[in-house]
Amino acid sequence: MAELPFSGNVGVARDRPGEFFSGRRFSRWLDRRIPPSPQITLTQKNVFIFPTKTGFAFGGLIVLLILGAINYQASLVYGVAFLLGSLFLVTILYTFRNLSGLNLEFVGARPGFVGEDLEISVRVSRPEGRAREGIQLGWPEGIMQSAELSEQATDTVRLYVVAESRGYHNPGRLLVETFYPLGLLRAWTWVDLDVSALVYPRPIFGDFPQSVSGDRDEGQLIDPFGSDDFTDIREYQPGDPIRHIIWRSFARSDELMVKRYSSYVEPRLWLSLDRVEGQLEEKISRLTGLALKATRLDREFGVELGSAKFSPSRGEAHLEQVLKELALYGHR
Amino acid sequence: MATADSVLMAEPLPADGKAATGVAYQIPRNSLALLMVAQVAVVLPYLLQLSPWIVAVGLFCGLWRANVYLGRWDYPKRWVKAVLVIFCIGGVAISGVGAFSLEATASLLIAAFALKLIETKSRRDAYVVIFLGYFAIATQFLFDQTILVAAYQVVAFIVVTAAMVGMNQLHTRVRPAASLKLASVLVLQAIPFTLIMFVLFPRMAPLWTVPLPGSSMTGLSDTVKPGDIANLTQSDELAFRVEFDGRVPPPSQLYWRGLVYADFEDGGWRAAERRPARYFPDPGSSDIGYEVLLEPTMQTWLFALENSTSADAGVYRTLDDRLASRDPVLSVFRYRAVKHARPKEPLPLSATAEARNIAIDDTRNPRIRALGEALRAEHGTATAMTKALLTTIREQPYRYTLSPPQYTDRDSLDSFWFDGQAGFCEHYASAFVYIMRAAGVPARLVGGYLGGEVNSISGHLMVRQYDAHAWAEVYVPEFGWMRVDPTAAVAPERVEQGLSAALSSEDLASLSLLSSARMGSWDLAADILRWADSLEHRWNLWVVGYDANYQSRLLGDLLGEITAARVAMAILGGGALSLSLVACVLFLRRRPVQRHPVERAFRSFSERLASYGYERRPEESPSAFVRRVAAEVGLSDQVAPLVAELDTLLYNPGVAWGARELKALKGQLRRLQFRLAFGATR
Repeated sequence: MAELPFSGNVGVARDRPGEFFSGRRFSRWLDRRIPPSPQITLTQKNVFIFPTKTGFAFGGLIVLLILGAINYQASLVYGVAFLLGSLFLVTILYTFRNLSGLNLEFVGARPGFVGEDLEISVRVSRPEGRAREGIQLGWPEGIMQSAELSEQATDTVRLYVVAESRGYHNPGRLLVETFYPLGLLRAWTWVDLDVSALVYPRPIFGDFPQSVSGDRDEGQLIDPFGSDDFTDIREYQPGDPIRHIIWRSFARSDELMVKRYSSYVEPRLWLSLDRVEGQLEEKISRLTGLALKATRLDREFGVELGSAKFSPSRGEAHLEQVLKELALYGHR
Repeated sequence: MATADSVLMAEPLPADGKAATGVAYQIPRNSLALLMVAQVAVVLPYLLQLSPWIVAVGLFCGLWRANVYLGRWDYPKRWVKAVLVIFCIGGVAISGVGAFSLEATASLLIAAFALKLIETKSRRDAYVVIFLGYFAIATQFLFDQTILVAAYQVVAFIVVTAAMVGMNQLHTRVRPAASLKLASVLVLQAIPFTLIMFVLFPRMAPLWTVPLPGSSMTGLSDTVKPGDIANLTQSDELAFRVEFDGRVPPPSQLYWRGLVYADFEDGGWRAAERRPARYFPDPGSSDIGYEVLLEPTMQTWLFALENSTSADAGVYRTLDDRLASRDPVLSVFRYRAVKHARPKEPLPLSATAEARNIAIDDTRNPRIRALGEALRAEHGTATAMTKALLTTIREQPYRYTLSPPQYTDRDSLDSFWFDGQAGFCEHYASAFVYIMRAAGVPARLVGGYLGGEVNSISGHLMVRQYDAHAWAEVYVPEFGWMRVDPTAAVAPERVEQGLSAALSSEDLASLSLLSSARMGSWDLAADILRWADSLEHRWNLWVVGYDANYQSRLLGDLLGEITAARVAMAILGGGALSLSLVACVLFLRRRPVQRHPVERAFRSFSERLASYGYERRPEESPSAFVRRVAAEVGLSDQVAPLVAELDTLLYNPGVAWGARELKALKGQLRRLQFRLAFGATR
């Protein structure tokens, strides 16, 4: 486990005075107490509970009422204060029970690109019997989502978390919390569902490598692999490269003629690291962009990445394979 | 997971219809609706205590918020809110209640509650409103702790709690009824520990002085002028209830002493004695124990029979033989007292006390002063002079009336005694005291209540404001202070049977409400009133009057010696017990739902089949499952009767069937299962 992102800014800023423990030592302790597992059932071992700020204010209200009851010697004001206090105690059981027994399971993750939201699905299910309400889950840097468990026993919640680097990403411990029924207490847990979400490299869109973008009719002539095929000669037209002008014939006939070459038209693209510019990550990003562009234009392309080689093909499945290879390049 | 187009488009996906961020910040509509109901519920009872305009402001704000809720109106503009705030503060300021009185505080609380609701948008605001709501519920009890109000406030409490529940039921489909139900359950489950805390939590003396309700309470005051007590008879408000250890003594002995007016000033009397007594009567065999539940008076004086003592903390005996409380009585106050026999050896009267009790104003009432001096010359002793005066009252045409002529001149006692000859108890008593003083006999005016009405259901005595009375006490060297009631001379019925018996019919007609006159007649309404009164009495006895003194008596009985450790243990033990009861309800698995017997049989059948590899699909009915499985192993032609039987027993309520049919079905299922098991192993 890498460092846990506990200190991150929590998406739904609600009161959580229980959050006094954070940091490395706590995360090590947490790893021992709630070990990572793709599926976990919440019990008293892994659920924490603590009053919220509202809960502390509620306590203040009770103290105020007791002071009033003492000073006015009013029995029923004592009664209200004790009823509130008792309500608070009963609520502890309710809040805890709302999380206790829940089963959390990592279902899967939809791959995403670096810098975008990854969609991670977590299945939350409760035992048959009583409904659960107001259960929220999310990663600290994401947005809290609520699970609907009042009428159904199982809900699959889609969570979104920003992907920061390519490869398999584990967003860390998932926060599951509830403030039900009165918002005076917060029961929560940090579970590590062993999430691994595939993150594709951030695409950089550019032109296809020029060598392969020949067009027979336009006769645009470049030097692909040093093997030009001379085709024919025709009259110069504005726009023709000057170095293709046959100066000797101009000297002879005053006519501007140009040689026409045609590149070896290669309809299938070959993408590899040495055909794009930049540092390694930039190259990978560029290749990603090209693969996406090629697929969008429905062009065949092949990829050479170190030892892995994908013969030219087209279509979504091919693209997915390529993107996965790009995501994991150098990460294994 | 990745579908093709999402990879290609690579755009953020909609969050599956779930509101991602909004939910946590906004107040659910369900909760908001409950909050508005709660506001009305909490503000309404204040109509009885506060000026109507503040309640009107509260309801106006509620109306506005309701229209915002319904999408008709906009939130009030800032200037509207400013006007409302200024209106409320100004209103409280000019309404005449003291700046730091309880009424002013409560008015501002209600105003804050109403004004906060009108601008409530965020969850934080809502919690502020909810907490103010609880506070307002508690504050109401400073004015009124009757059982009816308490019952009402429990409902209000549940509604406020429901609003808080609604805040945390994030689901948009939740209806207010569901929140109310859960809130009721929560409150119900909270009650056991509430009761434990109520009994065990140590009651303390006030920590500091608090603003008192400023409105004038009906009742006696420490000054009395002729006519004051007559005014009290217009009220049938309860003054106090008394529970005697034994039988209730006859009415003529129930002189409830509250105030002793020793100083004559400006034509009226004033009670100023506050020093504690130096003499305490000895306990004896004829002692009468009684417990008083005094309604709030906002004063320190208590009401007790003569020669009473009290062992309660915070209650002391005064120099002039009264009981008084150390702190003002702000809510129903319970104290236990014992009436002792008269001391055999009278206490000598100190010189200062004698001087104080014969002081008269030499510039007033010359005729009465002359009468006093003549009386002294003629009779000599205090006893003889008293007898002579009472005889005068009895024989001369004195009248006992609620509406005597106004004696407003400087010599008002003269005009009453010699000219008007008509008056109420305070006229007779104060004239009597004055004459005795003029004759050189120490005398004083005593104010309190006389008699009361016994509730035939619970046997307690009920003393109302119209039982207010004034009488005299004279100091006789041989006996000490002796009670003399001149009213008994003019209207003996007042002493024996109560006020209504002593009044003329015109006087009775002038009384707006005289419940003992009505309660005298035996009918259903009177019975209900008696029943309600005894209920209220019990409520006061056990709940409202539960104070430090009563607590120490009760806990002494329950725990033996009262130590902090024992009380703490009792609280912890009781808390653990009551919470584990709730935990049992919450956590113990419910008994499985009783299923249809056919369904049960089929369930075990399909579980067995699942172990052979024949899974029932969720959408399959029992008969469809049987048909499919049979078809798979080529038994289709043999299961038709079983399928028909299954459908009939499960779904046709019109067909009667019993144990025999069930047994037959089970047999068919077992046979099929056996063949499938055989087929599966094959």
